[in-house]
Amino acid sequence: MNSLTASGAIATGRVRLVDIRQRSLLTARLRVLLLVGAFCLIALAALLRIAWLGLVQPPPHEQSMAEALLPSRGEITDRNGVPLARAFPAYALWYDPQALNDGGSALVKPASEVAAELTRIFPDLDPAETTRRLTSGKAGYIRRRILPEDANRVQAIGELALELPRETDRQYPQGSMAAHVLGYVAADGHGRVGMEQVLDEHLTDPATRGTPAALSIDTRVQGALEDELRRGMLAVNAAGAAGIVLDVDTGEVLALASLPEFDPNRIDARGQSLMFNRVTNQVYELGSTFKPLTVAAAIDSGVVTDLAKLYPAARPLQVGGFRIRDSHIIGQYINAPQALIHSSNIVTAQIADALGPDRLKRTMEDLGMNERPYIELPARGFPIWHKGKWPRLRAMTVSYGHGIAVTPLHLASAYATMVNGGIWRPTTLRKVAPGEAPRGRRVFKASTSARMNQLLRMIAVYGTGRHADAPGFRIGGKTGSAEKPGVGGYRRTSLITTFAAAFPMDKPRYVVVAMMDEPKGTAASSYQRTAAWNAAPVVGRLIPRIGPLLGILPDTSRDIDLTDLKPLVGDEETEE
Amino acid sequence: MTMARPYVPRPGERTAARPQFPQSRKQQVKVWWREIDRVLLALVFGLMVLGTIAVASASPASARRLSTSAERLDELYFYWLHLRWQALGLVALIATSMLPRDLARRGSILLAGAMLFFLLLVPFIGSEVNGARRWIDLGIRFQPSEFLKPAFAVSIAWILSWKARDPDMPVIPISGALLGVVIVLLMAQPNLGDTILFVGCWSVLVLLAGLPLQRVGIMGAAGVGLMTLAYLFYDNARNRIDSFLGGGTAYDQVDLASRTLMSGGWTGAGLWLGRRKMSLPEAHTDYIFSVIGEEFGLLVCAVVVVLYLAIILRVLMRLVDEENLFTILAGSGLIALFGGQAFINILVNLQLFPSKGTTLPLVSYGGSSTIALCFTIGLLVAITRRNPFLPRDRFMFTGALEKGAFR
Repeated sequence: MNSLTASGAIATGRVRLVDIRQRSLLTARLRVLLLVGAFCLIALAALLRIAWLGLVQPPPHEQSMAEALLPSRGEITDRNGVPLARAFPAYALWYDPQALNDGGSALVKPASEVAAELTRIFPDLDPAETTRRLTSGKAGYIRRRILPEDANRVQAIGELALELPRETDRQYPQGSMAAHVLGYVAADGHGRVGMEQVLDEHLTDPATRGTPAALSIDTRVQGALEDELRRGMLAVNAAGAAGIVLDVDTGEVLALASLPEFDPNRIDARGQSLMFNRVTNQVYELGSTFKPLTVAAAIDSGVVTDLAKLYPAARPLQVGGFRIRDSHIIGQYINAPQALIHSSNIVTAQIADALGPDRLKRTMEDLGMNERPYIELPARGFPIWHKGKWPRLRAMTVSYGHGIAVTPLHLASAYATMVNGGIWRPTTLRKVAPGEAPRGRRVFKASTSARMNQLLRMIAVYGTGRHADAPGFRIGGKTGSAEKPGVGGYRRTSLITTFAAAFPMDKPRYVVVAMMDEPKGTAASSYQRTAAWNAAPVVGRLIPRIGPLLGILPDTSRDIDLTDLKPLVGDEETEE
Repeated sequence: MTMARPYVPRPGERTAARPQFPQSRKQQVKVWWREIDRVLLALVFGLMVLGTIAVASASPASARRLSTSAERLDELYFYWLHLRWQALGLVALIATSMLPRDLARRGSILLAGAMLFFLLLVPFIGSEVNGARRWIDLGIRFQPSEFLKPAFAVSIAWILSWKARDPDMPVIPISGALLGVVIVLLMAQPNLGDTILFVGCWSVLVLLAGLPLQRVGIMGAAGVGLMTLAYLFYDNARNRIDSFLGGGTAYDQVDLASRTLMSGGWTGAGLWLGRRKMSLPEAHTDYIFSVIGEEFGLLVCAVVVVLYLAIILRVLMRLVDEENLFTILAGSGLIALFGGQAFINILVNLQLFPSKGTTLPLVSYGGSSTIALCFTIGLLVAITRRNPFLPRDRFMFTGALEKGAFR
């Protein structure tokens, strides 16, 4: 009995214990499910947050590593790979009043003290103005293009509000050289004025900006041209000058200068006012430099078959109510070579009259004088061109470069056509690979071109171009001194003087055009203001500098054969 | 008088196979391989591989940050170190997981005692890093609290499972007292992140041990009260909560981390191509999740979250079928520690939780903490070992509800 009750008590105790164990096990298992639910909820919250970050937040700035290795803007080089423009990482000084983000003052130190420290770093900063900027609470640039060492000093001031974001800037290592060709990059990151604007897409597209854009410009020639033009311009007190060196066989522009120039590294109001390109944008009545073109057209069409034919030149030519006169009486009767050598308006007008307005107009059209010049630059001037049928007088004035206004580039292109065998080609600022020059179009016969080479050389040897005749370089060229049109007619004292030349004349390779705007008569030009005294000497000094660079060495033993024409002009050595 | 003759096999006849326990080492490993949770092991290895890649991507940022003019750290300095620690951790993981369950339990209890002792010593002989005295330097430097965590979870589970033998034992107060001691020691360091983990682990365990739900509610309220008190009287907590609520300044860690996280978009910048990470402090530890976001994208972040959830669910769903109270408690405690640490870190990186200074387990760079976490997983594997050929009664949800398990 006893044992039975005892065992029963033990049994009930065991049963209770087993029951409790079962129950607590069940509880634990069920609450594990609670735990599962809790973790699922937390994970769901995390996933939703990730989705929200991905969908609602602005997408991150896409950054291509290949792009990061490229310059921010492509490099521009000259034809030999010398850099003309390149990307340049710089710092800017940005004022961010919200940087401290604690609702209080934007600066830790007083504004005047910070301004004083900034002025110590940048002495041209106005402390009062800077203090006003710092206290105004407006964000903005205080300065741009800061040197790294200055950036460090600004950092050392210890103001969080002075931020130094890195910016990519454009640097022109050659300074103002070829400024009109290159242009500049504006604050919006796009090019302006020159090739920077033309090549903008190439220079910014990640696919192409890795390879530098090569221009046809040769920095050495460009430097020499700018140097000689500036010297000539200052010597005769001219208002401006323009020059161009052109490859006659490819149409490549080796140098193109418009003075006064601007500095693309620092664009200010003055720079803005000088961005006007005299070579491609301004049209001028270029005067006597057109005479060889007229003579070439006449020879080409068979109107002038005999260069010995004499034309009356003693008295001004009366056409309608208009008198065509020369600067001085050259002779009673002179032939065409003499007319070119002495630059006779009267004889050229007679030749043009014999040629007829239609044929002259046709030649001028073939030379591209009726449209904007062929060049990549955005600023290209439209010639003053008479569209309809030319009257007789128009043809006669155009024959000596009046009544038509074109850019110096037009003239250089026409001269290249005249000396290279008669092929007109578009001019370009892009480097042309060997053998890839455009075919062009024939304007003159090769025989005409050969004859004109002789005549141009004669002008430089015997005529108005003698000041350009550098020994051994076989230069040929024509002067032109045109009066600028003013209110109520031409102004006799304001001239545009031009010298259009080619060299070497035995196998012309390059055309050089130099132009002066309103030169004065100074001691340097023997108190003369015509092209023979200012533009021609510039070319005469320039060609010996650039000739050897371009592979043309001075050689006095070589020259174009002038023996068949020499008797026609007689002994003219003393003629001025 | 017929005596039952013992059976003697004749020559050429086989003896009947007798049930026997494996003796050889090879047999033991075979049994181990059959009994452990191989899916869990695979998920953990996957996570560690991800951690290797993540530390490789975060290493240059931290190496540059910690380089001085005198000493320049190699770009992949932390990566190579991490590989070494991971190798050690794997050894620890496998070795621990091979322990028999009882030995694992006893060892953990002993370890808990030892670590509690070291924790007591920390205020006296601890070395100070970043303004907090958490480390013990005994030839190798380690944080006692790191190793205390798994040992603590197993010990508390053990204490709570006493109830199955003697229902009248006040197990919850006993474990609470133990927790109290640990909290006091941790707050002295100060170490708010680990404190939260210990409290969370203990809460999960007492919840599973059958604490009535009203009391759970009361405890929750007490927790909020404690947080308030901590906010009012504990500087470290106040600063962190303040900066979380206030959004912080433009240059604090949380803001830098969120910028880093979002700078990769959905698909990320690519390995070693992130830029924001370079200005991020603690890129290889606390904010490695943000670095993953920048270099591998938000999609991979989501994969990380899902991976952690998969590990947690795998362990818990197996525990639901378990029949031993201690196993359920210990397993839940360990996975709560692991998952809690993971999700606190992830939520901090996602700016859903105030900055805590915890690492992303098994992904972040860490020396002794990597070992400790591998040890945690090893314990988990050892404790949840089960014979796959033994049938067990399936868990019946409705039956459990009828018996009033929620009461």
